[in-house]
Amino acid sequence: MNAADLQTRCARVPFFRFLDFSVTEMTNDCVVASMPFAERHIGNPVLDTYHGGIISSFMEAAASLCLFDDWEQKRLKPINLSVDFLRPSLPGKTLNARAVISRRGRRTASIEAIAWQEDVAKPVAAGRFHFLLV
Amino acid sequence: MTEIDDAARFERVARFLSTRRKGLIAAMNLKPERADRHGVVIRMPHNPDFCVDEEGTLLHGGILTALLDTSFGMVNFLAIEDVQTMATLDLRVEYLRPAQSRADVMVFAECYRQTRHIAFCSGKVWFDGASGEEVARGAASFALTRGESGPRSMLGAEAAAL
Repeated sequence: MNAADLQTRCARVPFFRFLDFSVTEMTNDCVVASMPFAERHIGNPVLDTYHGGIISSFMEAAASLCLFDDWEQKRLKPINLSVDFLRPSLPGKTLNARAVISRRGRRTASIEAIAWQEDVAKPVAAGRFHFLLV
Repeated sequence: MTEIDDAARFERVARFLSTRRKGLIAAMNLKPERADRHGVVIRMPHNPDFCVDEEGTLLHGGILTALLDTSFGMVNFLAIEDVQTMATLDLRVEYLRPAQSRADVMVFAECYRQTRHIAFCSGKVWFDGASGEEVARGAASFALTRGESGPRSMLGAEAAAL
């Protein structure tokens, strides 16, 4: 499976189409995705910044894609998440997410993800996501 | 600090939601159910765009996280006087069971502690009707900047919120 195959599978998920991101990189334990700014992503209608829930959802989506084989075969079940919001998002700018597997056990997996815009060294948010694999 | 009554609380939430013309909150089509000193209850009509399956029966967890985050913002507007800015420090969510239903989603949120600088919120999500079992639970902390005392402007707080 490569990033393009993963993208094809993402297109079948209505909520992923709502987020409208592209998978740009994929390795054994890491997924990078890119989400262009859209009006429906706005949280603050005056500043036009991203909704925190959209940032979290995008990171969760990227995190789940790290486990794409489980995601395909069984319905991957999210257990919980914790997201820190580190700086305000910039209006009108693409949001990127990188998710990396921290631990993949037989029953559960832990994924770390960050979201950033123009500079990966200045993340907008960082989070941890747990999934049930059985 | 002027205490507002429950009718005024409900009116503030209703006005906030009904005047949204863009962004995720408008897309979620939220309806106020209850607003009082204990917190807020908001309804999100079922929307297949928020699902993971083409049949539109299983909601993605992310939209429940977004709903909790939104309701925390609402309850902070009601609970806290003189807020100028409100930045989410962190957000934690537990997915307690699969969000499988075509029923409307309900969320309850409360601000259970506020200090000069920080507000602590928690909330829960369930489907309308049926058993009312919790589908998700969430908590968040917010950093507040308080302004001059005086009438609090919801738009002002909104404008400055991160």
